Amino acid sequence: MLRWSGWFVGGVALAVMPWLVGAAFPAQQRYILHILVFTGLFAALALSYDLVVGHVGSLSLAHPAFFGIGAYAAALLATRAGWPFLAGLTAALVCAGLAALLIGVPAFRLAEHSFAIGTLGFALVTHVVVTNWVEFTRGPLCVTGIPRPVIGVGALSLRITTVPHYYWLALTALALVALLYRGLTTFRLGRAFNAVRDDEALAATAGINPLKYRMLSFVIGAALAGGIGALYAHYITVLCPEELTIALTVNLLVILFLGGVGSLRGVVLGAVLFTALPEILRVAPTWRLVIYGLLLLLMVIKWPEGLDAALRRAGRRPRA
Amino acid sequence: MTPLFEVRGLTKRFLGITAVDGVDLALERGELVSLIGPNGSGKTTFFNCVTGFLPVDGGRVFFRGGEITGAPPYRIARLGIARTFQIVSVFARLTVLENLLVFLQQHQEENFAGRLLRSRRIHRLEDQALERARSLLALVGLARVPTTLAGTLSYGQRKLLAFAAALMPEPELILLDEPTAAVNPTMINQMKELILALHRLGKTVLLVEHNMDVVMDISQRVVVLDHGQKIAEGPPQAIRRDPRVLEAYFGR
Amino acid sequence: MEDLLEQTIHGLTLGSMYAMVATGLALMFGVVRLVNFAHGEFFMLGAYTFWFAFQELDLPYPVAGLVAAAAMAAFGGVYQRTIIRAILERSWHVQLIATLATSIVLTNLAVIVFGTQAKEVPTRLSATVFQAGGLRIAWQRLLVLGASVVIFAALHWFVKRTKIGKAMRAMSQNREACAVVGVDVQRVALVTFALGGLLAGGAAALVTPLFNIFPDMGALLTLKAFAAVIVGGFGYVHGAIAASFIIGVSESLAAGYISYAYKDAIAFVIMIAVLLWRPQGLFGRRIGI
Repeated sequence: MLRWSGWFVGGVALAVMPWLVGAAFPAQQRYILHILVFTGLFAALALSYDLVVGHVGSLSLAHPAFFGIGAYAAALLATRAGWPFLAGLTAALVCAGLAALLIGVPAFRLAEHSFAIGTLGFALVTHVVVTNWVEFTRGPLCVTGIPRPVIGVGALSLRITTVPHYYWLALTALALVALLYRGLTTFRLGRAFNAVRDDEALAATAGINPLKYRMLSFVIGAALAGGIGALYAHYITVLCPEELTIALTVNLLVILFLGGVGSLRGVVLGAVLFTALPEILRVAPTWRLVIYGLLLLLMVIKWPEGLDAALRRAGRRPRA
Repeated sequence: MTPLFEVRGLTKRFLGITAVDGVDLALERGELVSLIGPNGSGKTTFFNCVTGFLPVDGGRVFFRGGEITGAPPYRIARLGIARTFQIVSVFARLTVLENLLVFLQQHQEENFAGRLLRSRRIHRLEDQALERARSLLALVGLARVPTTLAGTLSYGQRKLLAFAAALMPEPELILLDEPTAAVNPTMINQMKELILALHRLGKTVLLVEHNMDVVMDISQRVVVLDHGQKIAEGPPQAIRRDPRVLEAYFGR
Repeated sequence: MEDLLEQTIHGLTLGSMYAMVATGLALMFGVVRLVNFAHGEFFMLGAYTFWFAFQELDLPYPVAGLVAAAAMAAFGGVYQRTIIRAILERSWHVQLIATLATSIVLTNLAVIVFGTQAKEVPTRLSATVFQAGGLRIAWQRLLVLGASVVIFAALHWFVKRTKIGKAMRAMSQNREACAVVGVDVQRVALVTFALGGLLAGGAAALVTPLFNIFPDMGALLTLKAFAAVIVGGFGYVHGAIAASFIIGVSESLAAGYISYAYKDAIAFVIMIAVLLWRPQGLFGRRIGI
């Protein structure tokens, strides 16, 4: 009973956040909501990455590429071909998913390290192509004037124009991704994923086709990343090739390892901390990256289970 | 009558060394056969070849009359062949119960919609799976630790878990790779009893073993490998006295 | 015709650089089974050390070069003693992420200390040109080629003849057995990393007079060196060297004849093509479980 009410209260609080923030910090409402939009999108992106890295153990470094493919697909279709928002979003999901399918087939033939480097190479090639294919992507000139989303037609349309609107859109996206994440990581499917991660040969003797499950999580993770890329593009309205660099992978890894790989709560916690960090660490971006790197190094060596697991263990200790 | 499991002329080479050299082996339904030989004679390589973990360089493998040479391990498992590993393998980050449930993956692959609707059929299958898991845990003596993480179990317990897990999908043929290696004498007896129990249930068992007492005690037939070749085959008492076998183990 | 020859020699120069970096990587993987994502930063730091010694301290070129190589050898040793020791027994996920994190830290520290403006370190040899017929090659390039031959020969001698070189080879085949027979595993690892640093620092001193130095240069180099190691067959040093030259020449020819902008992608196109055809690399062998 108590758990349900906790969820309910939490859900309501999240829903009315814009007003709560407006009441508590009227001058900075816009800014704080802006941060929360980023938190929501990052959390969703991190969950999509955790599906691949945390639950199936495929250390893919290609995620920024799928994020970027989705973002550019949506941005270009909206600005060049005038596609409506939902169509562009669908296209982003499909493009990213298809790219994952294409790159996954050769990539999964590689062992461990080679797989990681192969995916990294793919991310790099994508970055190079996006930066240099100026006729198509406008390269360093960036895709500008990406319109704010409009869902529906005519009188029944929902216009997402203000930051609070976007906050709710991001929140909805996060909720949907979290639901999908839950569905994929529990029961039979979740067990199969984890089995492939823990011992691929043993999983095969259990009748599980490791390639099928690796590809499944890889493609779904990529499609989700593409979808979030689309949402991101519509939010920032100007999309440049810098969004696809390895810095994004580092950020995602920090979130995963800070909060807790393989756990919904852990990843969301990591995302919250991660987006809150720049506000606490008011230092230059370069210094921030140094600190993230050191933090990642420390976390992965000392506490690879993440803060969420560490807190849970601490919470359990008082029991005699 | 066609044997349940048949291997013809299996050959496997590694960088110039022939690890398995033209080995023939046939198992009738319900037999309990041991595969023995000195270290390096190719026993585990043989296992890995017939279960799809290593590509073969020559020969063919048949199960229930159909050819399975070169099939991927997961497909061989689904056909009803179970195997355990020499160095015990469990899913460390799953619980004991989950370790068993994973082995029913392919037998209960249902669609997403079916599961979302929580249909009665799904519920029944899940209950059956749980019941089966619990009875297997009771059989091997792990009934009291279903929610323990498999990685925290002792070596012997993990061996029992791996054994139970292999039996979950009700395989017809069970290949055991050194089931009594590195365990204490009480556990060896327990393993012996479990393997005999399988035999009484009508399962076909092929085991690789170093422990001669176990081999002589329970096998109906013994096959001996040396340097990748089959050098002898027959009932345990005959093998024990076979000069070729003695030579292989103890030298001239 | 001279154009093609020039481009090829440029490619061989590039290949030498990749080869020296890739060899360090291959050694590290071969001997201690560790993938060092921060390896490109060894080169980057070597380049900045060289710049500092040559430009700021006004040391003569050979001395500055040796300083850079020695400094990076020391750095490699420290790196092994600290970070590598902590992650040596962990899963490859942990190793990859830890070294990736180190790479980020080093790159950004370099940005803070040296700034993002690229630095040039011209030497007498990079400024003067060797001419034969229509061919014009900077002397520095010929130095790079000559030096790399010497360096690889020395490395070959080291691994084949010296006690610790033999220990390295033994460890690359069976680490557990080595520990049992009394090989000082930690010491061999230390030497391996110091050697990797030495090669990277030396390569930097040789090659940077021809190119610019900037803090990000490590990342791309790491990836290309990895591509070479993979194409050559993971852990197989000769393969990595051969693959490095193939990649270097291909990149140079592609830059000249196809498109300069996409030249960085060539290494990966080659890598993906080779892996599709032979997942174990050009020279690697198929090994079972």
